[in-house]
Amino acid sequence: MYHFSLYFHFVKLRIRSQMEYRLSFVIELFAQACISVIDFFMIALLFDRFKELAGWSLWEVGFLYGMIGICFAVAEMIGRGIDTFQRSVVRGDFDTMLVRPLGTFFQVFAHEFLLRRIGRLAQAMVVLFIANSQLTIDWSFVKFGYLLISLASGTCFFIGLFVIGATSCFWTVQSIEVINIFTHGGVFMGSYPFSIYRWWFRHFFTFIVPLACVNYFPALFLLGKIESLGVSPIGVQLAPFAGFLFLGITMLFWRWGVLHYQSTGH
Amino acid sequence: MKSLYLTFHVYLAFARKSFQRQMQYRIANLAGLTTNFFFLLVQVFVYTAFYKTSTVPQPLNIDDIITYFVLCQASLMLMPLWGGREIADTVRSGSVALQLTKPVDFQAYWFADECGRACYYLLMRGFPTFLISLLFFKVTIPQQPSVLLAFTVSMMLAIFMSATITITIFSSAFWTLDTTGISGISASVITFFSGMLVPIALWPEWLAHIAGWLPFSGLIDVPFSIYLGKVTGIEVWHAVGKQTAWSLFFFGFGRILLARGFSRLVIQGG
Repeated sequence: MYHFSLYFHFVKLRIRSQMEYRLSFVIELFAQACISVIDFFMIALLFDRFKELAGWSLWEVGFLYGMIGICFAVAEMIGRGIDTFQRSVVRGDFDTMLVRPLGTFFQVFAHEFLLRRIGRLAQAMVVLFIANSQLTIDWSFVKFGYLLISLASGTCFFIGLFVIGATSCFWTVQSIEVINIFTHGGVFMGSYPFSIYRWWFRHFFTFIVPLACVNYFPALFLLGKIESLGVSPIGVQLAPFAGFLFLGITMLFWRWGVLHYQSTGH
Repeated sequence: MKSLYLTFHVYLAFARKSFQRQMQYRIANLAGLTTNFFFLLVQVFVYTAFYKTSTVPQPLNIDDIITYFVLCQASLMLMPLWGGREIADTVRSGSVALQLTKPVDFQAYWFADECGRACYYLLMRGFPTFLISLLFFKVTIPQQPSVLLAFTVSMMLAIFMSATITITIFSSAFWTLDTTGISGISASVITFFSGMLVPIALWPEWLAHIAGWLPFSGLIDVPFSIYLGKVTGIEVWHAVGKQTAWSLFFFGFGRILLARGFSRLVIQGG
């Protein structure tokens, strides 16, 4: 409980400091909105010309797009502190965190909150809502709960990727940018049905980096497309938990990494 | 004549310095190369799937599309989306004052800097991306020397235009100090209307028409259409002429902006 109240206190401070630069905040929000609207518009353009993609209609793909977009926006909003952890290592600020009477992971996590990702979040939600209104999904209580779990799991998945990037800083100091392939690249490839990728690519992003588990499989279930693919329905229903598991494993990696921390000094 | 030669030498030195500065980040470049390649792979998967279901003939076939995106990823770092942050930083930190006391033209200095950067990315990112892609994908290579020549000219103009656009965007720092918002908005307009995400040939007609009136297709779509042999004969002259005109426009516009900016510049502290 103590951690919770402390976290919300930190978030409040962060938001207040970001609102100090109000004009800059508004312009960036607008810029973000532009980028994300164009992003989906491009997919719509392709569907306008080609009509369908491997048996998926525009709004079915929009559903995938909205889901992954929400997960990534929330992950960037709350996980920003982990994402920018390399600064603390470069400057040696992590030393101060080590002597404070709180867990290091919590401190890094609560260290930053990026309110302006709300623009990206709103766009993804709008796409998801429109997609939902264009499709005929018979929503039940279970399905809605399943969607929420999937979204939470997807968010955990992206935060897990940030954790890997941050932990690698203990060895490399500078963050490894290759992680961008999985974060930004993950959003990009997660916006399309996995059936279009080659088998090795698909397997990699299911069993090693479980992107398909938090996005494609849940969408298959919600859109009622399981039968057409011949995958085991139980596997699909349990798939979202891979996101939580992924975060758990990366947090163990973090704990191990902290032991290897060497200060850059001042 | 001698003074002209000397001036050229000075700016060449700036360009070389910029090139060397980029050379420091070798690992970052390797990471970038991997990222380029990953996005290229996904793009190829997506378009291959789209083409598989389509039965109607398209203005570009799948090999054209793959070649187009290989070229896109190879020249991604040459686009006006990344550079120039240093210009804004010098204005914010006030070190621009020091720079203005030097007997060097401000715009020409940054232009040289951008050119050095472009050379670096052409050599260390562009060519490697292209060569690796040759191994994995079916990339078309134009057979006629005239096409290659036209492409080279057009690509150089694209790089020139990119540098002038970058300077124009970041000279807005004289007014706003923080250019994150403006560079974000312009980046989204540029990525869209350059044809970087979807080749303009695949756009609906009304939208392609709008893109034709804007300068940004000159960055990506024009040189690559020439490369693919979709623009030939007299149209090449037309396209290249338009690129030149827009480059000169941004050059002049940037110059005016900077002149205005200097006159209202206030340096804080000392």
